Amino acid sequence: MARSRLALGVTGGLVVGFLALFVIVAMTVWLGERSSTLFQEAALQRDTRTAAVELRDALRTAESSQRGYILTANEIYLAPYDTAKARARPQMSSFERLVIKASRPPLFLARLRAAVDEKIREMDQSVALKRAGSDADALSIIRSNRGKALMDEINVYLYGAILDADERSTLSEVERQNNAAMLRLISIVGAFVIVLVVAAVAFTVYRNRQEITQARDEVRAANFSLEERVERRTQELALARERAEILLSEVNHRVANSLQLVAALVHMQSKTVTDESAKGALKETETRIQAISQIHKSLYTSSDVTSVALNDYLGVMLENLGLAMRNDGHTAQLSSELDSVILPTDQSISLGVVATELVTNAFKYAYPTGQSGDIRVILRKLSEESAELVVQDDGIGLGATTRPGGTGLGSKIITAMAAALKTNVEYINRTPGTAARLVFSTAQPA
Amino acid sequence: MRRPAPSLSMRPWRHAVARRFACGALAALLAVTSPLAVHAQGNGLTKPVILPAFDPSRQSCTAPNGLRKELVFVQDNEREFVQGIGHGLALAASERGLKFRALRSNNDPALMIRQVNGLRADRTGAIVVAPIDPPSLSPSLKRLMGSGAYIGAIVPPPAITILNAPQYRTGAVLAEAAAAHIRSHLGGKAKVVLLTHDNLQFLAPRFTAMRDTLRQLPGVIIVADISPATVDKAGGYRTMKMILLAQPKVDVVLGADTVVLGALQALREAGKARPDQFLGGIDGESEAVAELKKAGSPYKASISLASPIFGYAMGRFASDWMNGKTVPQAMDSLPKALTIANIAQYERDVADPRSVYADPRRRNSYLKMYGNICFASRDQYINFPWSSERK
Repeated sequence: MARSRLALGVTGGLVVGFLALFVIVAMTVWLGERSSTLFQEAALQRDTRTAAVELRDALRTAESSQRGYILTANEIYLAPYDTAKARARPQMSSFERLVIKASRPPLFLARLRAAVDEKIREMDQSVALKRAGSDADALSIIRSNRGKALMDEINVYLYGAILDADERSTLSEVERQNNAAMLRLISIVGAFVIVLVVAAVAFTVYRNRQEITQARDEVRAANFSLEERVERRTQELALARERAEILLSEVNHRVANSLQLVAALVHMQSKTVTDESAKGALKETETRIQAISQIHKSLYTSSDVTSVALNDYLGVMLENLGLAMRNDGHTAQLSSELDSVILPTDQSISLGVVATELVTNAFKYAYPTGQSGDIRVILRKLSEESAELVVQDDGIGLGATTRPGGTGLGSKIITAMAAALKTNVEYINRTPGTAARLVFSTAQPA
Repeated sequence: MRRPAPSLSMRPWRHAVARRFACGALAALLAVTSPLAVHAQGNGLTKPVILPAFDPSRQSCTAPNGLRKELVFVQDNEREFVQGIGHGLALAASERGLKFRALRSNNDPALMIRQVNGLRADRTGAIVVAPIDPPSLSPSLKRLMGSGAYIGAIVPPPAITILNAPQYRTGAVLAEAAAAHIRSHLGGKAKVVLLTHDNLQFLAPRFTAMRDTLRQLPGVIIVADISPATVDKAGGYRTMKMILLAQPKVDVVLGADTVVLGALQALREAGKARPDQFLGGIDGESEAVAELKKAGSPYKASISLASPIFGYAMGRFASDWMNGKTVPQAMDSLPKALTIANIAQYERDVADPRSVYADPRRRNSYLKMYGNICFASRDQYINFPWSSERK
């Protein structure tokens, strides 16, 4: 917006400045042409005036010479008389040509020509009479005052032409002065306009720059405000998350405690039951509850409730399980090799239950009573998206085991849990011993 | 060849006065203190003198004997101006019990001479004359004065009482009226035509005054300064037609009433007459006065010399002379610029010269009298071109 306004302002200013310059140049050219025309007109008027004055002067000279000759009969007057008369005729023609060229033919031109001709005839006639000795006739021509009347008339016409030429010259001069003044004025106004345009453009640029700076400041302030809001929101979200995690931890803690309480109740129940098979079932149930409880313990002690560090979880669980099994009189040695594997919480519960079942089976069935052996739990990362859990023993193997105390529940649980993990448990006969192997996906759900 | 009749208001005699002053200040001083000291026996006062104011209380002398109590007006023609003189003379003669008659010379100088000679033979007691050809008439007038008759002359000498007008002042009054109009209505700029009267040289001061006055206005251009071939309406008409060929725009025309009226006719025919123009003349012609009264007429002023009033005064002088009383040697008819504002009063005055003469204030606004002369001192008559103006 500001940029387009700037472009518009600068373009407008340039157009106005160009127009002002154009006007100045055009006026200068026109006034120059006009001045030349006026100069030519003034020269023509001057020539016309000069012709009128010289014609009048020639006629006056001729008249005074005529009068001198008639008064004195002295021929000394005849030479200037003839000269003046000879000068008058071409002057009349010259005046006619100039006055027609200078303007429209004046109304008096024909009368002037006639008066000049008659005046010259009158002078010639009187001079001729004087030469012929007819003094009285010559004087009577003078006394008729016709010569004076003609000269008066000629004077009126020529003076009119002189005044007209003077007026035209004056008008030309006035126009020249006015034109010069106009040129000065236009130059001043043009310069003023150009200065004004430059100032306006500069002001527009300055103002635009100010607006850009202001807009930038406003954007910066908005960004700052947004950042503040984001930060505040982030803090609020972090606080909410923290509260949720605390709440979840608390839930897990309570669940874990509840499961521990349930396990303790099952354990107490198992103490009161005399039937060995029932005791064993309760014991297995307790072990399974402990395994699940351990998961929740892991969860409330972890910052991540969506996944579980399987090696940590299995490590603690196996330690507790081994301890429990030894307390129950089992002598096998439990060891583990656990790679770092992260697994979603639900799958970890399933895997934990499977591991518990497999290890418990190994303790119970791999080694006959009174025989010691090793039980090894191996968690190995196969790839970025898969891992395997192997429970090995060096016991009697699957073929030798009759499992008189078994209900088949453990196998069902293993199968169900393996199905939840979308896999199955592979039992491998070893010599000696058995290995139960479960390959599972470690991929995080999308 | 006939010489043009002098219009009543003529006779500045500037050149004569100038020559007089060239003769020496002492002579002038003597003339002022004692006009009778400078005279030519039987030929009157031929050298210019400066006359003192007329003193009506000066002691009377003897009355001429054997002359008929008759006043005759020998008029050059029947111009309105001259007719006005006759009207005043007749009125005065009637009051004073003089017989009055007018002789018309019809612009014929020889006839005028015969008429004057006849009056001397008839022992006429008083004449007033408007000379046609003063030099040729002069001997007859001298002889008449020698017989004891009173002679009043309209401008040229010789005469017992010379009537003149201050020509320069006359022209100045008209030009000042024009100048005022140029300033107030034409923005100080005007193209002026002067219609002069070259064949009466003593009128030249009128036009000198006009030129002098108009020269004070820088915006004024005198586009034509010319004397019509004949000083009458036709002459003014023809001259103005000619001028309009060279100067289509004319703002001011000055001259005698008759020629300016002709110029006005030419302007109107050419469609060049405008209400803001100033046309002004001298003589107070009735047609000029009628133009003054017209709304929107370019004719704005006429300088009147009130011929009935000074005619009446000269009639009284003729009567006093025949009764042996002292009379003025010269009299100025003072110019009065008639305009639409004062024309009514002027017309009342010229219709009743007796009342004007009887009222010193009004009389002095029209007339000014110089010197004293009576039958016994008649050899001191003026025989030089007299003018009250020294310029």
